[in-house]
Amino acid sequence: MLDISAWFNDLLSGNLIFTSTTLGYYWTGLVTTTQLVFLSLVIGLVLAVPLAIMRSSRRKWISLPVYAYTYVFRGTPLLIQLYIIYYGVVFFDGIQESFLWPIFREAFYPALIAFTLNTAAYTTEIFRGAIKATSKGEIEAARAYGMSQSLMMRRIIIPSAFRRALPAYGNEVIFMLHASAIASVVTLMDLTGAARYVYSRFYTPFEPFLFVAAIYLCLTFAILFFFRFLEKKLLAHLKPQTP
Amino acid sequence: MAATPLEVRNIKKRFGDTEVLKGLSLEAQKGDVITLIGASGSGKSTFLRCMNLLEQPDEGEIILHGDPIRFKATRHGREPADWKQVVQMRAKLSMVFQNFNLWAHMTLLENIIEAPIHVLGIPKKEAIEQAHALLERVGLTARANAYPAQMSGGQQQRGAIARALAMNPEVMLFDEPTSALDPELVGDVLKVMRDLANEGRTMVVVTHEMSFARDVSSKVIYLHQGLVEEAGTPDDVLGNPQSSRLKQFLTPNY
Repeated sequence: MLDISAWFNDLLSGNLIFTSTTLGYYWTGLVTTTQLVFLSLVIGLVLAVPLAIMRSSRRKWISLPVYAYTYVFRGTPLLIQLYIIYYGVVFFDGIQESFLWPIFREAFYPALIAFTLNTAAYTTEIFRGAIKATSKGEIEAARAYGMSQSLMMRRIIIPSAFRRALPAYGNEVIFMLHASAIASVVTLMDLTGAARYVYSRFYTPFEPFLFVAAIYLCLTFAILFFFRFLEKKLLAHLKPQTP
Repeated sequence: MAATPLEVRNIKKRFGDTEVLKGLSLEAQKGDVITLIGASGSGKSTFLRCMNLLEQPDEGEIILHGDPIRFKATRHGREPADWKQVVQMRAKLSMVFQNFNLWAHMTLLENIIEAPIHVLGIPKKEAIEQAHALLERVGLTARANAYPAQMSGGQQQRGAIARALAMNPEVMLFDEPTSALDPELVGDVLKVMRDLANEGRTMVVVTHEMSFARDVSSKVIYLHQGLVEEAGTPDDVLGNPQSSRLKQFLTPNY
């Protein structure tokens, strides 16, 4: 253990910018970015599935409110949404006395809420498109075999739509990762925030920004790899089989 | 006396201003193979689809084993009063479609066990055993784990027949099962259907295959513009057509 830290200090010796302190900042940033993106994607996905089903409903009073929501969140910049939630929340009467305040006082939770609502809106529309594209014949077969509406949704439409949505959803995940960079404007120490901090300390733009750019590239690569794996597994039914 | 498995009376259906079915009736006794023939637009597919309520008939009765489907009037016309009853009824009438309509994200085996497990509530193990037996019957043992997109049209349709059989249906409805197939693949599908007819399955078949209608069916119904023009045994209808329309329909025009 001592060997490794000695080796590490030796490696960084004479380097003013990549010190164990700044690397610590980057590490904190990476953890924050990963948490923020992962949590918002997971919650967004959980929200998007029922929303997409509602959005596909033929009943206007079910589909229209969801449409209004996705329209607003896709129609305005994420940065504005973040500002409204982060700066606007203090203006709600009594929130500073309520149990929610410790949550909203931190920059992390307003950012998480903004990102979650944003990605849920995009994911809802991705899923809705995929649900709409379900083959009419397959739906008819499901009805003809005595499936109820909910069983058909669960067993036929959602699994088939989810597979169709996978490539587009992979893009949304990458987009969210990069969009998370704007969390740094509300004082959040994410990857970009860490780079900016290091930049302002040393006034060296290239080292910190290129370094985090490389980290974003690695994360993107991991996401691409993960989705390639998923597509290979879940989209096998679209590939012609070589006998 | 055993009740008639499927009886439909006086089915009427209009799409907008066009009256497609003008009062059609049909009675399928156990073991009957009824073929519906007619030119395109005669309403034969619509009639078949009314039998399991994929289309809602505007008028008429559908009776399974003496148990009529209950309807109620709504603003949009007539609708089944009890969807549970419809679901139960559909489980007894399985349908084979022109375009196979296998579920694309499932393997053939998964397609076959899907409805038995989730609609009929058969234990998974039992459903799988049954599915393998059915796959052997239709000659697709080797394709159990293939996805529909990886199979030929003929294989998909035989798979779809296996899926229909897995429901252990009282009546099978075939909607032009060979019309989307390449000519060389039609034979395999028809062979499976002949076997089913010979073992006493009750079937209602919409088809253009006159040889199938002649050899296999117990009754042939010729539809023209939403009405029964002629009906009877294949020998009567196909061997001795009365109306000039049917004569013309049966004459190959090439």
